Formats: sequence, structure tokens, C-alpha cells
Amino acid sequence: MNVIASYLILAAILFCIGLYGALTKRHAIIVLLSVELMLNAVNLNLVAFSRWGIVPNLTGQIFSLFNMTIAAAEVGVGIAILIAYYRSRGSSNVRDMNSLKR
Amino acid sequence: MEAVYAQYAWLVPLFPLIAFLVLLAIGRTANRSGPVIGVIATLASFVMALLVLFEQTAEGGMAYVWNDLEWIRAGDFVLAMGYEVNPLNALMLVIVTFVSLLVNLYSMGYMKDDPRITVFFSYVALFTFSMLALVISENIVQLYIFWELVGVCSFLLIGFWYTKPEAKAAAKKAFIVTRIGDVGLFIGILLLVWNMPGHAIDFTNIGNAFASGDISGGLATLIAILIFIGAVGKSGQFPLHTWLPDAMEGPTPISALIHAATMVAAGVYLVARTYPVFEASESAMQVVAIVGAFTAIFAALIALTQTDIKRVLAYSTVSQLGYMMLALGIGAYAAGIFHLFTHAFFKALLFLAAGSVIHVLHEQNIFKMGGLMGKMRITGWTFVIGALALAGIFPFAGFWSKDAILAEAYASHPVLFWVALITAFLTAFYMARLFFLVFTGQSRAESSEAGHAHESPLVMTLPMILLAIFSIGAGFFNIPGSDRLAAWLTREAPEHHASVLVMVLSNVFALAGILLGWLMYGKRTIPQDWLSARATWLYRLSYRKFYIDEIYDYVIVRPLRVFGYFLHLFDEFIVDGIVRLTANITLAIGRAGTRLQNGQLQTYGLVSMLGLVILAVAFVGWRFVINAG
Amino acid sequence: MQWIDNMLGFFGSGSNIMFLVFALLAIGGAVFMINFTKVVHMVISLAVTFISLAGIYILLQAEFVAVVQVLIYASAITILMIFGIVMTNHQEIEQPLARPLHQVLVVIGILAFFGIVFYSVQQAVFPDSTVEHAVNNTEKIGMQLFSQHVIPFELMSALLTVAFIGAIIIAKREEE
Repeated sequence: MNVIASYLILAAILFCIGLYGALTKRHAIIVLLSVELMLNAVNLNLVAFSRWGIVPNLTGQIFSLFNMTIAAAEVGVGIAILIAYYRSRGSSNVRDMNSLKR
Repeated sequence: MEAVYAQYAWLVPLFPLIAFLVLLAIGRTANRSGPVIGVIATLASFVMALLVLFEQTAEGGMAYVWNDLEWIRAGDFVLAMGYEVNPLNALMLVIVTFVSLLVNLYSMGYMKDDPRITVFFSYVALFTFSMLALVISENIVQLYIFWELVGVCSFLLIGFWYTKPEAKAAAKKAFIVTRIGDVGLFIGILLLVWNMPGHAIDFTNIGNAFASGDISGGLATLIAILIFIGAVGKSGQFPLHTWLPDAMEGPTPISALIHAATMVAAGVYLVARTYPVFEASESAMQVVAIVGAFTAIFAALIALTQTDIKRVLAYSTVSQLGYMMLALGIGAYAAGIFHLFTHAFFKALLFLAAGSVIHVLHEQNIFKMGGLMGKMRITGWTFVIGALALAGIFPFAGFWSKDAILAEAYASHPVLFWVALITAFLTAFYMARLFFLVFTGQSRAESSEAGHAHESPLVMTLPMILLAIFSIGAGFFNIPGSDRLAAWLTREAPEHHASVLVMVLSNVFALAGILLGWLMYGKRTIPQDWLSARATWLYRLSYRKFYIDEIYDYVIVRPLRVFGYFLHLFDEFIVDGIVRLTANITLAIGRAGTRLQNGQLQTYGLVSMLGLVILAVAFVGWRFVINAG
Repeated sequence: MQWIDNMLGFFGSGSNIMFLVFALLAIGGAVFMINFTKVVHMVISLAVTFISLAGIYILLQAEFVAVVQVLIYASAITILMIFGIVMTNHQEIEQPLARPLHQVLVVIGILAFFGIVFYSVQQAVFPDSTVEHAVNNTEKIGMQLFSQHVIPFELMSALLTVAFIGAIIIAKREEE
């Protein structure tokens, strides 16, 4: 068993927990948080490959840096949207957000 | 001589077709001008038909065939459409257009107050068109098309007063019963197409093939019988005669049209048109003759006891059509056509006269009439002429044609001759009964309208007078000894079977019938219930039309209805069940779809994740299979 | 006793023990995040996961990424989340599960997904690596970032600016 496999499986576990949270949690902030967890799992994969991958180099780390930047932007916009939604609807429950039906 | 008018024979059916289309287009808005259009169109057709007929009768008149309109091409086989003019159908054209013209005229008076008079005239125009197109059809498939069209038109017209349940039932019955015959004809046509050399189905080739013996023996018999079944259905021969009396539910002018010129004449015309087919088979001819003779006497027996004025006439039509079939069956081709020709006049006359009575009295039961002679002179006298012609009294038209048939029968089939002679006696008797009950004696009407009965308007009496003239005179076209009609129709010198004995016998029988009728219903020296009281069952048998309708009801209609009920159950529970199941499955899928489309982002995420998982499982499984294999 | 030898071999290395500790902390934080009922507790427990992931990054010789992880995730994003909670209804607690079918399907799907990933990781073969990222890690990243990846880097700055302005506009209270 390779060293990298443990990192990958850890990442997979975190990803799955994040997915579970994103698909079941009601509070919109927690859904957002779960998405962040999934992104982190991906970052872990990238960094692990940059150390133990087939062609190990720094690109993986740099890519994870970009990833974090995007995640930060996403959280910023996401929170802003949630606040605006809460103001107009008075709720932060994902179940109430069913305007896709229309 | 070059055929000139024959080239334009297609105009004859065209005028009624145009009238039909125009009447259809203008609809009920033209209740006043509609009838005029119908009359003018039939008048134009009549004039055209007369020109064609005169050309054909002129010295050296030639048959004319035009069939350049290619209809179906399948490989080497070409089915053309066209028209043909020969003595037979030139004569038919004139009969049909003449009767149709008079019926149109008559209807202007008879149907004056009907709100759907334009519809009526459009149907009549279509009916006339179909019959004329049938007559000049060049091949048998084309004939079949118009044959069915005639059936449809009769359906429409018999059921014209569709608010009456009896009229609806009668229309359905007419359509279904004639359809049985049509199936026979259709199978016959298929056999013809299959067996004719080169699949040629125009009448000229059919005639040649059967005359030269290309098709003979059992096959010829089969085809002839099948064609005859079609004619049996249309011409109301036994055992498919039941629709014809019921067709009396239609307006009376239509009864005249159906009985004299269009519908029932089509059957006789068909047999005459395909006569070489019948001539090729001795047994088919026998069948035609026997069915004709049986129908003649059978219908005459029923007519003796009917109480509805139109039904008596209807059964007399069935009986006279039997005569025509008998004539065709014993090889008296010209005599059969001659009888068709004369019968058209006096039967149309009788129906129009009966219509005139009904129009005035609003009553059809002859036992509630009586004493109309004084009030309706023209109707009465024309009816007398028609009745005498139908009874076959010298020198009315019916005498000459009936005598021609009887003379031929006397020469070839003595049994059939006696049957026909007895029928002539019965015919005379029931016509006398009809006349004396309706026009003489005391009025037995219950309604007050009979009290001020009056003559019908001129537009109705004029056609009757015209027809009466022809009922007297039409017989002289073909008096025994000259046989001009026969010579012209068959284009060869006819054999003479004229016999003074037959003439005398037929007149004696007819006069005896009239005398008996007069004694029973006119002078009343013999009580009316003389026979019916002594042989109740005989009277009842005749009155109930030999229970044919009841037999059909029990033997065919009810088992079919039970069968239909099972089919209905099958349809309702199994076929519909499957349909409903399909619908419900679709509905359930749709419901599931809408439940999926609940606007919940997490549900959408779940579905896409499951899709991803399924794809991945499939991919990994495939890899696994590859690696393992 | 092969597995005892394996265990001894695994625990013989200090970095492996550190990995085990960080991994347990990360998974634990994530699981607590799922199981807590109060929203603020969830955010805090996820912060633990973020920090332990930074530790794992150090084990992978990615010190710069680890530091950025702590800076952005463990501090900035977590704080932002807490602000978000405060500005919406922070009183709300996670209700018990209400849609059993949905829940069951999610669990089945995730287990299947994990099974597939686990299977493919087990199947994959990676070569042993001898690359050292630990020496002058930050310098090397800087060199690459400003030479090879300079265009994505600049684009990223533009993206951040756009997101920043967008967030302000969206969240701005409508005056009228």
C-alpha cells in the first residue's frame, strides 16, 4: 500500500461527509460550509499528488492555492446572496428555496 | 356515323354533381332557390341524355368508349377511368334523368315546408349523379365506386327525417342489408381482376373473355353468382329484400326515385351490364331466374295484406324487380330491360300519386282513406293509369313488357311461366284493393283534414300527368312483332316468342284479379275477411311478411348482438384496460417527474449524484469485466 | 503476524503517527459538523478540520499551502461564516430528518460513490517519489507563480475584485 493512498482515502472520506452535508442539511450556511469541506478534500488530493504523484511537482500546490482563492470568492458571494435572501424571505432554510420549480 | 353527343356523355352526371356542390356550398340560406338549381341541373342532364339516346337510336349509332384517364398504374397493369355509351346505358341515362327530373319537380311541392329542403335537393342531386356515373362507368371497379355512393345516398335520403327513430332504423337497415350484397359483388370483382386475362376489367374485355370461353365452368358460375348477390342486395331480391319496404320511411319522392330509377334499378342494370358473365354459366342463369320468380310471387303475396299505402307499392316493386330478374335469368335480356324501362314510369307515377295522397291526408294507412276520387281527380286518374299499367292490362305499358317476359318464360320454363302468371293475378288483385280502398267508397279518415282534402298543386300533378302519359305509351316502343327495342339493345335480330295465348292469358288473369278486388273492396259483395277469417294463419303469414324480419332477427341479429356484446366486453375491459394502463403508467411517470421537479436544490443534487454513481458503477464494472476476461 | 509487523512498521515512523492524529482530527471535525445541532458549533468544529488539514499539508511538504490554509479557511472563511450566521437567523437549529426516502437515497449514493473511489485508489499504483518540496518551498512557489502561472494569478486577482464588489452590491441593504 502506497503512502499516497492514505491521503487519497482521507480526502475521499472528507469529500463524502461534505457531500452528505450538502445534500441533507437544511441551513443554507451549513450547506455552504459542506461545500467548503468538499473543496478542501479536493485540495488535499492536489497537494498529495504534488508530493507523491506520478509526476511530482509544485503545480499541484499552486493549483490548490488558486482553488482556495476561488473558494474564498465563492464564500464571499454566497454569504452575500444568503443575506440578501434572508432579508427578502425571512428564512435561511434550503427547503424554502424552491423557486426553481417555477 | 361519328358519335358526337356520346363524346359529351360525361356531361350528364356532371350537372347533378355541380348542383350538389353548389347546394352544399350555399347551404340552408337558399331554401327558395335551392330546388330551382336542382331542377335546372337535372333538366340539363335530361336534355343531354336525350341527345345521347337519339344518337344511339339513329341509324348506325355506335357505342363509344373513352378511357384515357389513367387511374392506377402498378407494373404493367393499368386501370383506366372513363365512360362508355352504348344502347343499354343510353336508355338508362334517359330513364334516370327523366325520373329524377320529375321527382325534383314534384319535391318542390312535396317538400315545400321542410326547413332542410336545400339539403334534400343536394342529396337528390348527389344520388342522381352517383346513379348516372354508375350507368356510364367504363369498368367494373369504377362502377363499384358509384355503386357504393348510391348506397350512401340512399342511406342519407331514407334517413332524411332522422329525428324519426323508424327512419333512422330504416336507413341503417338499408345500408347494412345492401352491404351484405356489396360484399358478394366485391368478392366477385376481386375474382374477376384475378382471373381476367391481363387483369383487364373494363366491360368490353369482360364480355369478350366470357363470350369466348376464356373463363368458364365453375369459375364463371361463381363470379356470376357473386355479382348476382350484389344485385340481390341492391334490387331487393329475396332474401335481401327486407330493407326495401322499410325504406318507405324516407320522403315519398325518394321512394319514387329509389324504386323507379336509381337504387333498385342499379341491381338489374348490373346484371344486364355483366350479362356475358351470366350467359357463360347455365346454372347461374337458373339461379337468377329462380330467385327472380320466387321473389316476384313472394313479394306479391306479402303485398296482398299490407295496410300502408307505400308498403304495398314497395312490395310490388320487389315483385316487379323479381320479374326483371326472371327475364334476365331465362335469357330474355331485352324483355327484362324493357320491363325496367316501363316499370320506371308507372312505379314512379304510383309513388308520386301515393305521395300526393299522403301530402294531403298526412295518413298512410289505406283503411283510413277512401272516397278520394271526387276530391283529387288528377291524382286518382293518374293512379288508375299507373295501377292498370302495373297490373299489365292491355294496352298500358306494363302489359307489353310483362307480356314479353311471360312469352319468353312460356317458351323456355313452363313452371316459371305459371309462377309469373299467378303473380300477375296477385298484382292485379292488390292494386285493385289499393285503389278501391283509397279512392272509392266512404271516407274512413279519423282526422278532420280528410274532410277538406283537395288536389295537390300543379308542380306535383304535372310530373304525375307526364308519367301517366308514358305509362300508357311507353309500351309501344317494343310491341311484339316489331321488337325494335330488343333489336336495338342487342344489335341483332331477336327471336320471336310472341304468343297470342300468353297475351290473352295474362290479360284474363289480370282482369280476374281486378274483378276480385272490385268485388271485395269496391262493391263489397264478397266480405273483406272472407279468406282471412277462414285461413287466419295464411293471412297472418302474409301480413307479417312471412316472418322474414323476425327470422333474421332471431337467426342473425340476436346472435350477432350477443357476440357483439362479448366483443364489447372484450373491448371495454381488455383493450380499454390496456389503454388505460398505458395512460396510467404515463401519468405515474409524469407524477414522479413533477415530484422530482420540486424546486429543491438538494433533490436535484441527489439525482445528479446518483447519476454519477450509476455511470461510475457501469464504468468500473465494465473495466472489471475487461480485466477479469 | 503480518499485520502486527505492518502496524509496527507504520507506527515506527513519526510522520505516520502525525498523519494518523491529523486525519482523525479532520474526520472527527467533519463528523461533528454533521452531527451538531447548533449552527455555530458546526462552524467551529469545521474549523478544527481546516486546521488539521493544514497540518497534513505540512506533512506533505507544502508549508506555504498550509499557512494559506490556516489564513484563509481557518480564519477568514470561518469568521465570514459566523458573520453570515449572525446576520441571518442564528437561533435556528437543525431540525431532525424529515424526508426518509431522500435520506436513504443520499446514504446509498454516497456509500456507493465512496466504494468506487476506494476501489480505484486501491487499484492504482503510484511510483515512490524522491522529490523534495520542503526546501525553500515558499520561494519556489513564488518563482513559479510569477513566471509560469502569472496570467492565471492576475486573472485570480481580477476575480477576487469582482467577487468583492459583487458581494457588496448583493448584500447591500436596499435603501428605498
